Amino acid sequence: MKGDPDASANHLQVNGERPAVEVEPESMLLYALRDNLGLRGPKFGSGLSECGACTVLMNGNAIHSCITPVSAVGDAKIVTLEGLGTADDPHPVQKAFIAEQAAQCGYCINGMIMHAASLLKRNPHPTRNDIQQALNGNLCRCGTHMRIVRAVERAAATGSVNE
Amino acid sequence: MSGNPNDMRSTAELALNRRDFLRVAGGLVVTFSLFGQEAPVEPASKSLEALPTDAAQRSLAPPPAGKLYAWLAVHPDNSATLFTGKVETGTGVQTALAQIAAEELDFPFDRLDVVMGTTSETVDQGPTYGSRTIRYAGPQIRSAAAAGRQALLDLAAEHFSVPANQLAAKEGTISVLGSPSRTLTYGKLVEKKRLNIEIGASGERFAMKVAPKAHPKDPSTYTVVGRSIARKDIPDKVMGRFTYVQDVRVDGMLHGRVVRPYGVEATLESVDETGLKNIPGFVQVVRQHNFLGVVAETEWGAIQAAAKLGSTLKPSGPDVGQAKWSNWNGLPKMDDIWETVRTTPAVRSISPVSKGSVTTAFAHANRNLKATYKTPFQMHGSIGPECAIADVKHDRATFWSGTQMPHETRRDMAKLLGIPLEGIEVRWFEASGAYGRNGLEHVVADAAVMSQVVGRPVRVQWMRWDSHGWEPKEPPIVQDLQGALDDAGHVTAWQHHMWIPTTSDTHLVAAALIGRPDVTGSTGLAGAPIGYAYTFENADVAAHNEGRVALLTAWLRSPAQFEITFAMEAFIDELAAAAKQDPLAFRLGYLQDPRAIGVLKAAGQEYGWKSRPAGAKAGPSDKLAHGRGIAWVNRDDTRVATIADVTVDPSSGRIKVDRVVVAHDCGLVINPDGLKNQIEGNVIQSLSRTLLEEVTFDTAHVTSRDWRGYPILRFEEIPDSIDIVLVNNSAEYPSTGGGEPSTNPTAAVISNAVFDAIGVRLRQIPFLPDRVKAAMS
Repeated sequence: MKGDPDASANHLQVNGERPAVEVEPESMLLYALRDNLGLRGPKFGSGLSECGACTVLMNGNAIHSCITPVSAVGDAKIVTLEGLGTADDPHPVQKAFIAEQAAQCGYCINGMIMHAASLLKRNPHPTRNDIQQALNGNLCRCGTHMRIVRAVERAAATGSVNE
Repeated sequence: MSGNPNDMRSTAELALNRRDFLRVAGGLVVTFSLFGQEAPVEPASKSLEALPTDAAQRSLAPPPAGKLYAWLAVHPDNSATLFTGKVETGTGVQTALAQIAAEELDFPFDRLDVVMGTTSETVDQGPTYGSRTIRYAGPQIRSAAAAGRQALLDLAAEHFSVPANQLAAKEGTISVLGSPSRTLTYGKLVEKKRLNIEIGASGERFAMKVAPKAHPKDPSTYTVVGRSIARKDIPDKVMGRFTYVQDVRVDGMLHGRVVRPYGVEATLESVDETGLKNIPGFVQVVRQHNFLGVVAETEWGAIQAAAKLGSTLKPSGPDVGQAKWSNWNGLPKMDDIWETVRTTPAVRSISPVSKGSVTTAFAHANRNLKATYKTPFQMHGSIGPECAIADVKHDRATFWSGTQMPHETRRDMAKLLGIPLEGIEVRWFEASGAYGRNGLEHVVADAAVMSQVVGRPVRVQWMRWDSHGWEPKEPPIVQDLQGALDDAGHVTAWQHHMWIPTTSDTHLVAAALIGRPDVTGSTGLAGAPIGYAYTFENADVAAHNEGRVALLTAWLRSPAQFEITFAMEAFIDELAAAAKQDPLAFRLGYLQDPRAIGVLKAAGQEYGWKSRPAGAKAGPSDKLAHGRGIAWVNRDDTRVATIADVTVDPSSGRIKVDRVVVAHDCGLVINPDGLKNQIEGNVIQSLSRTLLEEVTFDTAHVTSRDWRGYPILRFEEIPDSIDIVLVNNSAEYPSTGGGEPSTNPTAAVISNAVFDAIGVRLRQIPFLPDRVKAAMS
């Protein structure tokens, strides 16, 4: 991490913008995203890095924003579910989740999609086992697992993930 | 599978486009004319404004069920809104109910929005529970929409000056037969008209009859019902545009967190506020009797303040935080919980089945089998902890809540706050899935208490440990079974006695903490949801229904019937094995219900079932062992049969579920893919309950306070496949429920499959590896 954390904490790089946030540096990124920036993709689930509902991408890697202090983010590029695709051009993983109807309550789906997007970026042709392992830290209580796996397989099959 | 397989793709894309359109328009569609509404309405009903202190008071009462406008609005842009007191809990009923309405209204599905739950805008159709939404609310909406279609035809008849039978309605447009140029959209038809159409309604909630004179369509003509239309809510959920109750933010609101007692019934002795004022944004402590909470301008500030007072994952004692609690240790020992359940006096004893004399039959039997089945406290385990916002003023209060029963919550809050019902509104937003009564009703009360004290809107979200520790649980149940076989292996007697604590204790935690435990709520009795259908000549089924035992309990997906089905369908497997008979054929030999027989046979056919006794090949071995199991249920008239293959690793005791086949008969299916999503979910969730889940507790409180303490099924543990057959999906069979039934057979199926694999009976949930190994030795 570069620079003075307190100084950089006031500006985050989120979804291609650089908004100012007035938060304590030791507070967690999740609350800055949700409460200060009004984002709704990342969710509070456990606050303990146990379920994955809060997942965002930090420099392309899936991280748990519920245990990541704002001071640890620095100049890293944060992408949330809102920034993954656009309304006109959803990310291939988002398209695949809709096509497979891979949600019930959908509260966990943010984490599933962010982890899947991260997986497909480093492994565009995962096996079913690769997908299960990549998502194994993400909990779903509705039991949508079969469809979530199918959706990630579908996204991989479209071959346009690694843009 | 019925329906065009292309439906889903195309309608999913359409739904996306529709949402985009709405978003561009600001997210809300404001309309000014519908079936008789006097004032402009905001169909999306998503106002986030706090209560104005001096604003004109609009009516907060639900609309009258006998008026058409209580159910439907048609807007000048030829969009429409369905209003329903039912709510979406992740099961897809929003889409299914919209299909029913669009079908009867002859209206484009994609132009029909749905407003759910908000108490000032919807009729109380009963809580969204018990797999009752399609079955009971479906016909109410069908009837209202049919009345709406007739009202539109009558309007058009007047407009075109032709008899209504000379008109055709299709896709939101009415045309004069034989005159293709004479057409008008529904929107144009109702524009600038004030209609006050009485359609009639009688009865209440589930039993309500709406529009008794309406003429719904002949089901054989359905074009929308029965199709796998993509769900309305999924695109927004996937794109990060959906507003869960956890996402709602209200002007001027504070963030609250609760600080629960260390011991379940501990009393609050003192609160040391040292250091709280140094927390940025801290506002105040809220203390009423044993209720303790904090409010702050920021969520982080509230979390920090609550932590100082003792709200942490693993508090180490009643007096180690800055809030000191009495040293309460009144819970029974966890190891003894079934003995506690068994010895707790029954409030009511019932005998659902009593036939012949089991005593005589047992005395003359060739073989008597006895077994005891035990199931633990389990939890709903919502991924998103419970959350609500309350804005309480002197004589009015507004709530933003994801409860499955908004109209009940409205009544509860009136009692809790002492505010007249007319002053209370619950604005409903979907929450993380609850699968029954989790803490969503309780967090509303927490927010109410805090907002009333601080005089501002307060948003409360429980921490993970508040949810795991304090959500109402499914109770532990113990069941004794005895069966008798004659020389030929026929069952001559069946006895099933069960001890069931309440599954419907609706007392509010916050009410108890503020010292008014009985201000609302009751302790219901579980009954014996058994769906017993066997034809044994001597049978004795009895239930001892108890009140609260140890922890607060409330319904979890198929309450008590999940556990009862486990015992019943595992024990009949024990009898089949003792008689050395095939377990499917054995069951069929004692059934007359054609729909039960139908699902069992359909599952067997899909699976490729070959007749043989269970456990025939089981024996001591270190090698991976494979087995199959079968079980079925009748849950409120929906029949489900499930078959699964398992692999048991004798060295680790680990059970891997390989393949699952489900045959499901809930009659006419509104949305086949939506139902399959539900069935897959029921199977996975019940596998989790079967293999992994047990609430742990010491004598003070629940100790499984996070996902490490209460693991649920992960991706590496899911089956390879879940194959689903829908049986009797036809209008000859009116729709029953699909939200719960397929949860029920799972535990017995896995127990039976493990017996088939390794010859060992598992009679206590969860089937943890250590328990499997212990049973083997």
